[in-house]
Amino acid sequence: MQTDPPDTADSITDGLQTVSYAQNSLGQLEQVKGQGWQPVNDVNRQAWREIEKQIEQARGRVVSGRASCLYYYMIANQMSIMLLARYSGQSSLRVRLHLIPFFFRRLTAGQLQRYADLFQISSKDLKKGALLPAVYSSAQKHG
Amino acid sequence: MAEPIRIDFRHRQSAHCESGVAANLLNHQGIELSEAMAFGIGAGLFFGYFPFIRINHLPLVTYRAAAGGLLKRFSRLPGFNLSRQTFSSAGQAMAELDSRLAQSIPVGLQTGVFWLPYFPKALRFHFNAHNLVVYGKEGDNYLISDPVFPEPVLCPAEDLARARFASGTLAPKGKMYHFSRADRDFDRRLAIIEGIDSVCSMMLKGIFPLIGVRGIRFLAGRLCRWPERLGAEKAALHLGHVVRMQEEIGTGGGGFRFIYAAFLQESGILLGDQSLRTCASTLQAAGDRWREFAAMAARICKSRPKADDTYAAAADHIRQCAVMETQAFNSLRDWVRGAS
Repeated sequence: MQTDPPDTADSITDGLQTVSYAQNSLGQLEQVKGQGWQPVNDVNRQAWREIEKQIEQARGRVVSGRASCLYYYMIANQMSIMLLARYSGQSSLRVRLHLIPFFFRRLTAGQLQRYADLFQISSKDLKKGALLPAVYSSAQKHG
Repeated sequence: MAEPIRIDFRHRQSAHCESGVAANLLNHQGIELSEAMAFGIGAGLFFGYFPFIRINHLPLVTYRAAAGGLLKRFSRLPGFNLSRQTFSSAGQAMAELDSRLAQSIPVGLQTGVFWLPYFPKALRFHFNAHNLVVYGKEGDNYLISDPVFPEPVLCPAEDLARARFASGTLAPKGKMYHFSRADRDFDRRLAIIEGIDSVCSMMLKGIFPLIGVRGIRFLAGRLCRWPERLGAEKAALHLGHVVRMQEEIGTGGGGFRFIYAAFLQESGILLGDQSLRTCASTLQAAGDRWREFAAMAARICKSRPKADDTYAAAADHIRQCAVMETQAFNSLRDWVRGAS
């Protein structure tokens, strides 16, 4: 199987060499290292564009005051209400309420801290509604 | 601070995490086993299309057996014992991990990739069935042999604890495992036959129309109607999702078909059986066709289609894959009948 020449700058794995199987000159399938396959990079990028679009929408809703900043953090970390409820150990109804600015402003320090720990930000930032990047964004530094 | 621990463990990079972990752990126990062989004996190949199960609002497509199934099959082989544990609290789970490391036992873990800091950003999704081996600890960092990475990596304890207690679908609940018994002289021939038999029945005999080769055909039927049912934008997202499940990191290419073909080739050599090699080339051809489908699908997703790139043409590729795979697994089933 011929593979398209991989575009390093475009690689979704940040230049990491991954393994796949390809046929060698003897007709034997063997492990080969590579930078991934271009079509994979394309569809991965497509998935991320969709996520980024959702994050932008979420940011808009928070800025316009229709949702609390918790909503932004939930979307930015690719979570649903159900998943956020599981992670924070409460019912999804409660989480749903906390996504509304009115209820979010009334969260106790303990509840805020729990969300802040989950999203790896300080509870101060969360309280004042700073819209910081998601958990995975810091990965590039030591990736 | 505790003494650093570094167990003498050979890290070998592999395509798929679960087969890689199985092969590396068994190697540590003195059983020379390639990743492809582990994948085949563990019956890792599968196909399933489950539109009623959603991942980020997209239908579940899988080219491999359920997460954990491969290791479970190994644990059931005569001569093998896999000791598995799950935990209710992170503190207990990490303490137990430390005590295993202190006994010089490399430990397999199930983790959620979203929380692993060493993962490339583009691959950090909420996927909770990633397997890796912890084989050391230095200060507050764990030394990890992550089979999809070229070299061992370090991961802070705090992040590893998060990853072990990821929530949502397939939540690992701190799951850790190691082979408490592994017979060096296990019957490879029998294990290969049983592994192939299991994959054949899943691929051919499923009563459920969404799995096996029937599932492949079902996907083709649904896929060609996506543009009219979902609109261009959503259809492209669905299509891209299928390609990602098929080709993204951990698949070895061609939706695991290449790695399985490699297993068949290796088995053919081991058992001196030409017919297995023929099946391998049929399956490899199917993998090539899956790749052609993926390339075409990616062009459609990128809105840069060539003249004859359509959903109907993509579905047609998939149908051809179904034909080739039916042929490959039928002859494999005949081989199993003859061999056992």
